[in-house]
Amino acid sequence: MDGFIELCGIRKVFPGQSVPAVDHASLTLKKGEVFSLLGPSGCGKTTLLRILGGFEIPDEGRILIDGKDVTDLPPNQRSINTVFQNYALFPHLSLWDNVAFGLKMAKKPKKFIEDEVDRMLDMVDLLDQADKKPHQISGGQKQRVAIARALINKPQLLLLDEPLAALDLKLRQRMLLELDRIHDEVGITFLYVTHDQGEAMSLSDRIAVMNRGKIEQIGRPMEVYEAPSSSFVAAFIGDTNFFRAKVVSTVSEDYSMLAVDGLPEVLAYNDKKLQNGQQVYLSIRPEKFRISREAPADPTHINMMRGKILDIIYLGSNTKYRVQCDHHILMITQQHARFLLDMKPFTWDEEVWVSWNADDGYMLQRFEESDTNLLGIPPVEDTVP
Amino acid sequence: MSRIRRNSRLPLFVSIFVMVFLYAPILVLVLYSFNDSRYPGAWNGFTLKWYRTLLEAHTVEARDIWRATRNTLTVAFSATLISMVLGTMAAWALYRFRSRLQKFHQALIYAPLVVPDILMGISLLMLFVNLSMKLGLTTIIIAHTTFCISYVALVVFGRLQDFDHTLVDAARDLGANNWNVGRRVLFPLLGPGIIAGGMLAFTLSVDDFVVTFFTSGPGSTTLPVQVYSMMRRGTPTLINALSVIFILVTFSVVIVSQRMIQKRNSTHSRV
Amino acid sequence: MTRRKWREWTLTLPSMGWLVFFFVLPTFLVALIAFKPRSLGGGIGEGWTMATWLDILQPSYPLVVWRTLWLSAATTALCLLLAIPVAYWLARLSQELRNWMLLLIILPFWTNFLIRIFAWWSLLHSEGCLKHTLVWLGLASPNTQLLYNEWAVLLVLVYTELPFAILPLFASAEKFDFGLLDAARDLGATRFQAFRKVFLPGVRQGMLTAFVVVFIPALGSYAVPEIVGGPTSEMVGNKIAQKVFVDRNLPHASALATLLALVVLLPVIYSIFMRRIKTTQRGGKRS
Repeated sequence: MDGFIELCGIRKVFPGQSVPAVDHASLTLKKGEVFSLLGPSGCGKTTLLRILGGFEIPDEGRILIDGKDVTDLPPNQRSINTVFQNYALFPHLSLWDNVAFGLKMAKKPKKFIEDEVDRMLDMVDLLDQADKKPHQISGGQKQRVAIARALINKPQLLLLDEPLAALDLKLRQRMLLELDRIHDEVGITFLYVTHDQGEAMSLSDRIAVMNRGKIEQIGRPMEVYEAPSSSFVAAFIGDTNFFRAKVVSTVSEDYSMLAVDGLPEVLAYNDKKLQNGQQVYLSIRPEKFRISREAPADPTHINMMRGKILDIIYLGSNTKYRVQCDHHILMITQQHARFLLDMKPFTWDEEVWVSWNADDGYMLQRFEESDTNLLGIPPVEDTVP
Repeated sequence: MSRIRRNSRLPLFVSIFVMVFLYAPILVLVLYSFNDSRYPGAWNGFTLKWYRTLLEAHTVEARDIWRATRNTLTVAFSATLISMVLGTMAAWALYRFRSRLQKFHQALIYAPLVVPDILMGISLLMLFVNLSMKLGLTTIIIAHTTFCISYVALVVFGRLQDFDHTLVDAARDLGANNWNVGRRVLFPLLGPGIIAGGMLAFTLSVDDFVVTFFTSGPGSTTLPVQVYSMMRRGTPTLINALSVIFILVTFSVVIVSQRMIQKRNSTHSRV
Repeated sequence: MTRRKWREWTLTLPSMGWLVFFFVLPTFLVALIAFKPRSLGGGIGEGWTMATWLDILQPSYPLVVWRTLWLSAATTALCLLLAIPVAYWLARLSQELRNWMLLLIILPFWTNFLIRIFAWWSLLHSEGCLKHTLVWLGLASPNTQLLYNEWAVLLVLVYTELPFAILPLFASAEKFDFGLLDAARDLGATRFQAFRKVFLPGVRQGMLTAFVVVFIPALGSYAVPEIVGGPTSEMVGNKIAQKVFVDRNLPHASALATLLALVVLLPVIYSIFMRRIKTTQRGGKRS
């Protein structure tokens, strides 16, 4: 069933603010999928979620559920429930009463409420804690109560507003698996709002990346990572290196040679069908590079250049290098599969070969200089004295 | 516009009603202090004569009012001073020591806050009668000090809750003796709390009618008691003007002190 | 005695001594005098007697006690009814606006207590402008008496006690997480259900405090019924003052005061008792 929940051209400007919090956002959720809204804080993702939940009314645009317009319905009349960022558990009620709240509001029969609450608490593995008050349980348990409470009304859509933000790293990973399990069990559509790309990537069927109130890109996790449409998406999700380039010649139907200031000519996949002489920005992920002492043996389809290692940051599972090639400083990540056996470690100031496959440089549709600030490394074209 | 629709307007309407309710009597009072009529009902035209009578003090009534004002201030300053000393010591004791004695002490401090004025008034009256003390300014000062101690102690104790005692240890560690600790650490940090407590005590003392009514004697009338007897005698015309002067003084004091507090807060946060 | 103990006592004794001598002692004194006969000169006589207590049981008193109770209860209820929406409204304002509004609410109460009562006295006065307005609107006849009845007492009691209800309720509402109301709406509660099931329990502590700080002083009201009430709307406080200043019967006044003190103590004892039960329950659960 396609187009289960539709948002069409949602726009919201808060009073006293000139910039819209959400600017003509449109998306379509499919039944049963996990969809993430990903973006930095202040990008409008929470506002969009609150509009869906019925807590804000958009200035423009409509919301349709199963083709029915719910834009003007108050929260209590939408079959949408929310897991709030700080859980918003009622402090004066026991866990059991918290979970029962929605059914009581719906005036369901007593027996039905009892059975359902027990079932939900059992699903989140908290049945034995049912009489406790929210302040007596841990963050992860609160999280599970909030989910049970939101799911008990069998909503058509579950909104999750940064549900894991308050948990520590290990617990967050556990809860991710738990959320995945719960989703498999109930099969309800999840809309997951987060600023954490890792959560979004691992949980979602599809992701919408938001920036400054606008949706930048919608796609499967792999698409947004491997084929970012803009410098913002490329820089926000994972790390990357940007190069300003100009198309100089066409090699084949899909490949072109690009000129990058200070570097040898670069072979790149040209799915945008850019013409010679056009300017373009290239994004290359740090892990796509290879560093080696010897030049790569088979140079077909491979770009290579000389560089000097500036910094080595050993991170256990991988190592990050800052490598200077002419006036470009690249961030490169290398996995080491077999410690000691791999090779003699690189050292500072060592001259090395940097190479990458022509398919791994991705051309961006849109580039904004300010997006380079999102990178964990200084901008690529920083000149080094 | 669309946001308001999601929130009920009832709280706003009730709040507006409450504001009108709170201010209407006072505004009418101010208005009638300029009324050229002996009765509050009819408006006979604008006049300043009540203020003139009051300030020139050549009627018996006006002179009584000024004597009552002097009494009120004498009582308020004395009671404030004594209760600031006793209240601050009490708060410090409550803060520093956690013993059975302090539990009793704390209950003793809180008790006068919940006891109705009239009970405090009559019990003090009985005490003074039994001790054969002559009712006058002294008995009023004792009575006012008794309820002011609790308020000062409460305010200072509240401030002490936020006070980080390691600061004292730090000062000692840096070589300060008791005197230096008091002068350089405690006083600058607790001074505002003590002064706030003192201001509260002062206003409560000036405001008090019931306790004073029971513990005052002839010649020791304070302003509230004076206002009361003028009302009883049915000559309220001067009270309007007196009230307006009173209101002006208190409002400006409150606003100035509020300003001072806010300024201090903002400079604090900047540091 | 250790040095620490000695320091504790020097810090504690001044305030404790003062309060014991001028607060605790007189309270017991009053209870004692209630059992003394009056002397002819309006003082306290020798010996002991139960006569005063028997006097108090005469039929006019239960009515006064009953009036005192219902006026205090009605004052408390009305204050809460007005203060809860105001506290809700204040808590949702922006920080700066909230501070100013709070100041605006407290400001009238920095004017003298008696002057505030006087303001109402002149408003409700038979020549006052409220009366004139009501007559002009046809809502009252020229003979209607606004002053000197129980309703006038109730009105002015609410006026004088209202901020004491608003302040503790605001303190609670300020700490209330308004996101909980969204959560309740999200789970299907109407606006009113969310308010009743989530906001009110959330400010329960403020409501209790407001109850205590309005109800108890209202029980001991003296000035308000004295000025805007008449002989038919006297409260216990008026009777006490009457016995002291008019009848010069100190034992009788003491007996009434003792009675009032007992009534005041009831809710205090009740709340302490409830807290005890709660702490023991909580302690039991933890173990």
